[in-house]
Amino acid sequence: MKKSSILGLVVIAIAIAVIISVISKSSSYSTFNDAKGIQSELSIVGHLDKQKELYYDAVKDANYFSFYMKDKKGQECKVVFTGTKPQDFEKSEQIVLTGQMVGNEFHASKILMKCPSKYTQDKLNVTEVKAKTASI
Amino acid sequence: MSTVFQGEHLLPGNLGQIFVILSFGSALLSATSYYFATTNTNKLDTSWLKMGRWAFFINSASILGVGVSLFYIIYNHFFEYHYAWSYTSRSLPVYYLVSGFWNGQEGGFLLWTFWQAVLGNILIWRAKSWEKPVMTIVAFSQVFLASMMLGIEFLGARIGSSPFLLLRNSGIEAPIFSRPDYLSFIKDGQGMNPLLQNYWMVIHPPTLFLGLASVVVPFAYAIAGLWQKRYKEWVAPAISYALFAAMILGTGVIMGSLWAYESLNFGGFWAWDPVENASIFPWLTLLAGLHVLIVFKNTGHSYFTATFLVLISFVMVLYSSFLARSGILGETSVHAFTDLGMFWQLVAYILVFLVLSIYLLVIRFKEMPITKKDEETYSREFWMFVGAIFLGLSCFHLLLVTSIPVWNAMFGTKVAPPADLVGHYNIIQASFAMVITLLTGFSQFMKYKKTDITRFFITTLVYFVFAALVTALVVYASGLYKLHFVFILVMFGSLYSILANGKVLADAVKGKFKLAGSAVAHIGFSLMLVGALIAAGTRGVVSKNDKGIVNVSGFDKAAGDARENIMIYKNEPVKMGDYTVTYIGDSTSEPNHFYKVDYKRYDNTGKLKEEFVLMPKVQINPQLGLAVSPDTKHYLLHDLYTHITALPPMPQSSSADPQAGAAHGEENDDKNYEAPVTHEVAPGDTIRFREGYMILKSLAKETSIQNIPLTANDVAVGAKLEVFSHDKTYDAEPVYMIKNKSVFDFARKVDDVGLKLRLTKIIPEKGKVEITVYQQPEKLKPWIVMRALDFPYINFLWAGTLIMIIGFLLSIFRRNKELKTV
Repeated sequence: MKKSSILGLVVIAIAIAVIISVISKSSSYSTFNDAKGIQSELSIVGHLDKQKELYYDAVKDANYFSFYMKDKKGQECKVVFTGTKPQDFEKSEQIVLTGQMVGNEFHASKILMKCPSKYTQDKLNVTEVKAKTASI
Repeated sequence: MSTVFQGEHLLPGNLGQIFVILSFGSALLSATSYYFATTNTNKLDTSWLKMGRWAFFINSASILGVGVSLFYIIYNHFFEYHYAWSYTSRSLPVYYLVSGFWNGQEGGFLLWTFWQAVLGNILIWRAKSWEKPVMTIVAFSQVFLASMMLGIEFLGARIGSSPFLLLRNSGIEAPIFSRPDYLSFIKDGQGMNPLLQNYWMVIHPPTLFLGLASVVVPFAYAIAGLWQKRYKEWVAPAISYALFAAMILGTGVIMGSLWAYESLNFGGFWAWDPVENASIFPWLTLLAGLHVLIVFKNTGHSYFTATFLVLISFVMVLYSSFLARSGILGETSVHAFTDLGMFWQLVAYILVFLVLSIYLLVIRFKEMPITKKDEETYSREFWMFVGAIFLGLSCFHLLLVTSIPVWNAMFGTKVAPPADLVGHYNIIQASFAMVITLLTGFSQFMKYKKTDITRFFITTLVYFVFAALVTALVVYASGLYKLHFVFILVMFGSLYSILANGKVLADAVKGKFKLAGSAVAHIGFSLMLVGALIAAGTRGVVSKNDKGIVNVSGFDKAAGDARENIMIYKNEPVKMGDYTVTYIGDSTSEPNHFYKVDYKRYDNTGKLKEEFVLMPKVQINPQLGLAVSPDTKHYLLHDLYTHITALPPMPQSSSADPQAGAAHGEENDDKNYEAPVTHEVAPGDTIRFREGYMILKSLAKETSIQNIPLTANDVAVGAKLEVFSHDKTYDAEPVYMIKNKSVFDFARKVDDVGLKLRLTKIIPEKGKVEITVYQQPEKLKPWIVMRALDFPYINFLWAGTLIMIIGFLLSIFRRNKELKTV
């Protein structure tokens, strides 16, 4: 066999190995219900329940932050994060959590949040504009 | 319709828009003319060529016109323009106005098309016989870039997004836009995202865009070579341009990670964010292409692979710009742009160039100078080829994972990226890096075509053993052995490569100077990996402290890295690793709030070894909330990095009516303190409180108190107190007053210690006075939560980058010299 064919085979083998490893590691976005009983980390998409309390008290523990999130199916769960409360968490539109269920709490190791204002700045703050008219 | 708006400056916008349209039209004309100039069989007829050139010059000039118009608008704060309003504000200093210029997507395209125009002009000047076909491609690419800035409705669809869009036309709904004088209400722009207000953001985007733009040149040469059937000739000039593109692109990417390290707060320099990954796709394929081009030039092998990699590099540039700009990354990236309605336009740009590449590769395949003979196993070209393939595989893996949202959109699936994404990338990419570094090492001991096998094995083995010894030492000293095994292998590969290339460099200095470039670049690349590996792998959390932690039951370490944050009260020193840190105060320089954190390090005997103050900053932006940037103490061999992670709730507004506060009076204020404690003291006595003590120095009769006139019947006594707390001394003088037979007293506050002091009674018979001490509960004292990290040997990463750039430069000089002689 020619060397180039051997190399070709090796390349194909590695490519397949890469694909398999990616597929085996990747998960689908899950729900809190599905997360129960699974012992590995997974991702859940949802949004913050703004009615319920966001708990972060740096004086008691600077590394404990908890809140309630509703997943895409509308199920709600308490989420605990070992860290500080991300800035502007209240304003988030969507949250992607990575972590796992521990009892009835979801312990998140990563929080990715999408804020409406951060990269789409196209919101003219009309109230602010009005406030300025008053002072002129 | 008939409303005449007041105060608008429409001229620069109209002018700018004309330049945008002109740049589109002239690019189109230039591409067409160059096409006909290329296909024209009459060699004496230069009319098409002249037209193509002039059209390209007009294109370049109009791009400058666009830039000048846009800068004029930004510089003069014409907030009637959406771009100026969105990205700048009056308070921005001029150098950030410059970076506001490329803050938006339109500005990014402008920068890109500007660099492409510059490169085009260089090609017109230098490319000689290649000018016609190469410029056809460059001008064609200019057409697409210009179309991105058009912002014109065409057959019901909007093409491009113009930087000269007026705010009132931008789709933002607000009642004020119906008023002719709406502009008088818009006093200031949105301002720039505080995270982008960093000096790296002034130079990183131009560098990165120059890198991205310059990939078009080797691409155009490859296309021209296939099109004009000048299969072998295009390689030599393309190598120089490819070297340049790879150098600038690499520099741009590293500048981006320097920015992330200095101004973002994720605690590192690389986060495997999709946008970051996308920026290195073209770099990896271009590096691979470069190596195979050199193989082909020296041996005539691997023609197809070389051409393919060069072609795909430009397609990768387009694809990465699609990922960053189309909004498709939505759920996986934090810094992708949102869709400006150009999704399909961006797709079209990729597809046109991809299809063109594939088409030419297919129809010319039979004619390509492909060798039938295999490479020798013990030849440099074979292993360079293997290395290039592994670079390609590394890119393939990045592409596969980063594009998960794209696969989801294409196939309607809902796959999430791996949960431990960073770990996944680290391990797989490290495996590729190991192979690649080993190859850059031992292929140095081989020669093109045929190598003396015994000698090769002996030298390789010697260096192998030596590298293994050094690796063992480094791994042990840096603590790298605690990590996954594959990282140790990368360390080995990198050190091996440094040693092997070091030998080549040593030989080069002795005379074979032309080999210096690649050796230096390889050393730089490996050094980068060494630095990145140690810094990211053995990054230490300094801000650990067990004091004052209330354990929350049921909470375990399952949720990743725990307890990296530490809370410190103002003026209370806290021990943290080797350091004693104190939060000593704030300072404000609008819009930045700096938190001064004092670091002290003592040696074993308790002697102060060093002291410095870090000032991590927080910027409060009305639109974007709080933006946190770290401050870093740089040492030669490590960095100490500190940033704020939480703050007490901000007072709603600092200007919130001071009178209102005063009117509610003392009682309200007392609620901020614990129950008062009274002390009867004589001058010289000491009063203790939770965080220190105070001494009543003396009692003094006051002659005037603030604005209150005192008459002969009135009495005012001040108690001079000296307050000692946490090694600091403060003076306070509460006052007691009898005026018109009524008793008043004036409290004094020592905010730093959280004290309020009153002189509440004078007891003449005992010669004593009564001092009432109010202490703030601990909770209300100012505090910050911060995280401090230690990055060891991170300077290797930056130094490696510099060395790699030098290596690229040397190679460019060498290749250019060869060009002249040939």
